[in-house]
Amino acid sequence: MSANSTELPLDVVADAALDHRKSKEQAQTRWLSGLGRLGGRAMAVAIGAPLLAGLLLVVQAWLVADTLERAIGGGVARAELATGIALIAALFVARAGLSYLAESNGSLAAEHVISRVRLALFRKTLSERPDWSASRASGAISAAIVDQAESLEGFLARFLPAMIQAAILPMAFAVIVLPVDWVAGMLLLVTAPLIPVFMALAGWGAEAAKRSEAVAFARLSAYFADRLRGMLTLKLFGRAEAETRAVGEASEQLRQSTMRVLRIAFLSSAVLEFFAALGVAGTALYIGLTFLGMVNLRFDVLTLQAGLFCLLMAPEVYQPLRLLAAHYHDRAGAKASIAELDTLFEGLPEVSPKSTSQKERATSPRATDATIVATGLTVRAPDRTGAVLDGVTFRIEAGEQVAIVGESGSGKTTLLEAVARLRGHEGSVTIGGDPEIGETQLRQMLAFLGQKPRLFQGTIAENIRLGRRDASEADVRAAAERAVVSDFADLLPLGLETPVGEGGLGLSGGEAHRVALARIYLRSPDILLLDEPTAHLDGATEERVIDGMLDFAKGRTLIVATHSRTLAARMERSLRVAGGQLMPVLRAKPKAVSRSGGVA
Amino acid sequence: MSALLHFRWLLAAQASRLLLTLLLALIAIFAGIGLLGVSGWFITAAALAGSGAAFNLFAPSSLVRGLSFVRILSRYGERLVGHDATLRLLSGMRGWLFATLFPKLPLGLSPRHGDLVSRLTADIDALNTAFLSSVIPLLGTFAAGTVMALAVHLLVPDATLFYVVAFSVSMVAVPWFLIRSTRRAGQAMVERASDLRGAVLDTVGGHSDLVAFGATEDALRYFETAADRLARSKCAMARRSAVAQSLVQICGAAAFVSVLWAGLAAYGQGQIAGAVLVGLLLALLGSFEAPAMLSRNLARFSASAAAAERLRDLEQSPARIAEPLRPTKMPEHADIVLDHVRFGYGDGADVLAECDLVVPEGQHVAIQGPSGAGKSTILQLLLRLYDPRSGVVRIGGEDLRTLVADDLHRQVALLEQNAPVFIDTVRGNLLIGDPAADDRRLWQVLEDAKLADFVRSLPRGLDTMLGETGKTLSAGQARRLCLARTMLSPARIVLLDEPTSGLDRETECAFLADIEHVLAGRSVVLVTHADLPARSGMRVLTLKDGRLEEKP
Repeated sequence: MSANSTELPLDVVADAALDHRKSKEQAQTRWLSGLGRLGGRAMAVAIGAPLLAGLLLVVQAWLVADTLERAIGGGVARAELATGIALIAALFVARAGLSYLAESNGSLAAEHVISRVRLALFRKTLSERPDWSASRASGAISAAIVDQAESLEGFLARFLPAMIQAAILPMAFAVIVLPVDWVAGMLLLVTAPLIPVFMALAGWGAEAAKRSEAVAFARLSAYFADRLRGMLTLKLFGRAEAETRAVGEASEQLRQSTMRVLRIAFLSSAVLEFFAALGVAGTALYIGLTFLGMVNLRFDVLTLQAGLFCLLMAPEVYQPLRLLAAHYHDRAGAKASIAELDTLFEGLPEVSPKSTSQKERATSPRATDATIVATGLTVRAPDRTGAVLDGVTFRIEAGEQVAIVGESGSGKTTLLEAVARLRGHEGSVTIGGDPEIGETQLRQMLAFLGQKPRLFQGTIAENIRLGRRDASEADVRAAAERAVVSDFADLLPLGLETPVGEGGLGLSGGEAHRVALARIYLRSPDILLLDEPTAHLDGATEERVIDGMLDFAKGRTLIVATHSRTLAARMERSLRVAGGQLMPVLRAKPKAVSRSGGVA
Repeated sequence: MSALLHFRWLLAAQASRLLLTLLLALIAIFAGIGLLGVSGWFITAAALAGSGAAFNLFAPSSLVRGLSFVRILSRYGERLVGHDATLRLLSGMRGWLFATLFPKLPLGLSPRHGDLVSRLTADIDALNTAFLSSVIPLLGTFAAGTVMALAVHLLVPDATLFYVVAFSVSMVAVPWFLIRSTRRAGQAMVERASDLRGAVLDTVGGHSDLVAFGATEDALRYFETAADRLARSKCAMARRSAVAQSLVQICGAAAFVSVLWAGLAAYGQGQIAGAVLVGLLLALLGSFEAPAMLSRNLARFSASAAAAERLRDLEQSPARIAEPLRPTKMPEHADIVLDHVRFGYGDGADVLAECDLVVPEGQHVAIQGPSGAGKSTILQLLLRLYDPRSGVVRIGGEDLRTLVADDLHRQVALLEQNAPVFIDTVRGNLLIGDPAADDRRLWQVLEDAKLADFVRSLPRGLDTMLGETGKTLSAGQARRLCLARTMLSPARIVLLDEPTSGLDRETECAFLADIEHVLAGRSVVLVTHADLPARSGMRVLTLKDGRLEEKP
């Protein structure tokens, strides 16, 4: 898309980009406000309770003003005021209860929605092809799902209820004051609605700045994760001090960018404070002057009760607005995070209100056979202009055993990934002649071993069992034997029950690879796609791994991408990837190739 | 709590900013209280004076206006200075964590990578908020309460006791309850957030494995459970904080009602002027804004304490490798000697038993042997990532245990089996090996690693950004980049762990044949499965059953 647009005049492009951004922002805002509706009853309570509390506040202010007028203006004895005072106390307690309801329900609603959002994002990640997630920093994805989603909390639990309060309470309070004293009422009525206008003005700047801060934060997260992963390497190269300094510098940059945001963001609350002070001070002065007879805009005499009531209500008119201002950055933060999510995930996912029930796994019979046919298979590299595979066509019969060879970086892995449907491509790859083969069926038929297989947090046995959840202990054991896992596992005190860490910490490369191979042996796929299954293995172990592999692969289609001559020689035929093309490797006689793979 | 105190040195560095924040906060609080008090007093006095009375308007009206402006300005200043101080703290803490972590590497049973990431960002953020959101409001509240208690004592002495009790409950008892009751929930919250992060990282890292095994639904279920658990502990925290806030409101009400009740009696006896009483009552309503803010933020306090505890634990965990007390100078020559070295990981069986090795400076040695025999272990011992159980590892005749780690690392460079490609440019990735290298030298090592043609084909050459774990590179290209980085290092001893894995045989042979002159003059210990080219005159050793044997 960007390639095409460079041919257009620059201003047209800029306009289109602006329009595009605007419509994108609108969509993001819609998505954000849609989230509130997922909060359900808890959200309704969180919004409703403060409104009710506001009503009680009016009654309370009236009672306080009344009590003071009767005591101080009218000289009524304390005992006669006891009922009123008890009522005031009761109202205080009732408001405290309502505030508890509002707070706890707000958080309940927010957390519920956040969980749904996280799940939707996670689902989206999983539903993409693995090359999608591989092209993004994992630190950025985890920051998005854990931290950016978290920043919705303030928006949902605090900003949304505050927004409703701010929309209703100030006007309602001002209108209630109006019949008591029309001037004070008008003063409040006029200043209050102006506030959001000024706040919005200040807020826009804050939001734009906040967005750039979110970008900086995401980069910083990715940077930390990356440097932490390679921390030992950095240490060994004597970069400890330099990297420590770099981390400090990166944080310092974040501080500066954040301060730029805050200087503006806090300005919007200062504007609000200004108007609130103006309103309170104005009301106080007006009422005082009226009492002193210096101002006379009323038709009747102002009582002390009415005056005190106006004064008590004046700060309350602005209180919801101040609350809104205090939470305004929650909205800005949420919007910035959403924009970030939108970019990272290429669109915002639909968030379902309920935990979706798991789809029944279709156990359809395998009608198709395991012949693989690729026609015009083309894969473009994400960053490089050329194609890694350029219109490759081949046919591999069911039960064939084929090696894919070629220089490193020539596209062997890409080819396997495209066949395993783990990478987007052009052209077609069909299995058993069925272009529409379902995901479930494909995964049942086909097993794939990547070059960097992941060992998940758990024991070796658990990692093997990932191949088939309900596998018996004996099955796991057999698979471990076949993949020559037992060789090293049996030397460990806990054997197959030894825990292995994230990324296969604690196991050597060759060991991790064999665990992943055992995983595959636990399934019974029709097609095996193995990328460098014998990398990191010494000659003797390699032979044994190959023996196990060939034994397992009898009657199955086996494709290995490999640099190992030993392995390639034991396949039925070899195909070479070079220059984006695939061509057969001619061999006089398979047996003629030295098994040791040595070069004479 | 004590863990939080452990980090008080951090505060000292920002003391002036924090004090300014506190001062501005106090001014804002008192301006707010004063504004309400003066207004209440003013209109009541005016009402009592009545129309046409002589009344000094100047003082109250200018006070009302002045207090308003003071409050606006001090609030803005407080926020700005406070956040600046916090971010400075944050930046200091991040640097601190890196500086703390580096000497402790390699971590024994290292925490999950996701956990480490979460520690760096979330824990430090949590610890950071403790100061701004708890300590300063706490001090502000205390000051406001003390001043109001004095005012009550002077004006309505009978209500003093009530007021002090109500205020102490809201200032001491409620926060105490909150901190106590949220301690465990706070810990759980931080841990569950880190679980969730781990789940995401595990899944992103193992995406193709999950898809290939059709195990995505399992991952989804696991993730959903983790997310729900986090949500639940966050709700539990929020509920407690809500209770605390309501309690503070009730305390405020109790203080107000008791001063009103006692004040009316005092007024009846003529001990207090009506206008003053009204002013006091309104000021009271204002003064409870501070503790309300406090309890809102205190809920985070326990999360901070939990984070502080783990950060302190990390800091106090001993480094596995102790630096020598009286280090020896790095020796002149770089002969490698392993003398009767016995070694095993943790409580495990011996990996190396009576292992001997002598590599004179400049010699190139290849170590072969079955997978898992301990070939990489030998390299790790040479960098003193571990100490042997018995026996000695020497470089230049000096026991490694007497050398400073930095000096050692400067002399010995390692290409690890899983060497990372950093999110950085090609150049940035290479310069880690030698920050002083010029472009000519960079291109040279790229040539040596057989990667120069590829880098030249990139649109931005050396300045091309590389993705996480070099994912825009193929495995073989990433490997060669790390190899180039290692060769760039000026170290006299180069340790290569499977330098040619992921390379095709032709490239592998070419590289192995080249090593001799590319690394001529430097000692090389090469761990490999590859068959060495026939012409290679390299000395070959086989590691078997924990011993090294010369290969004939």
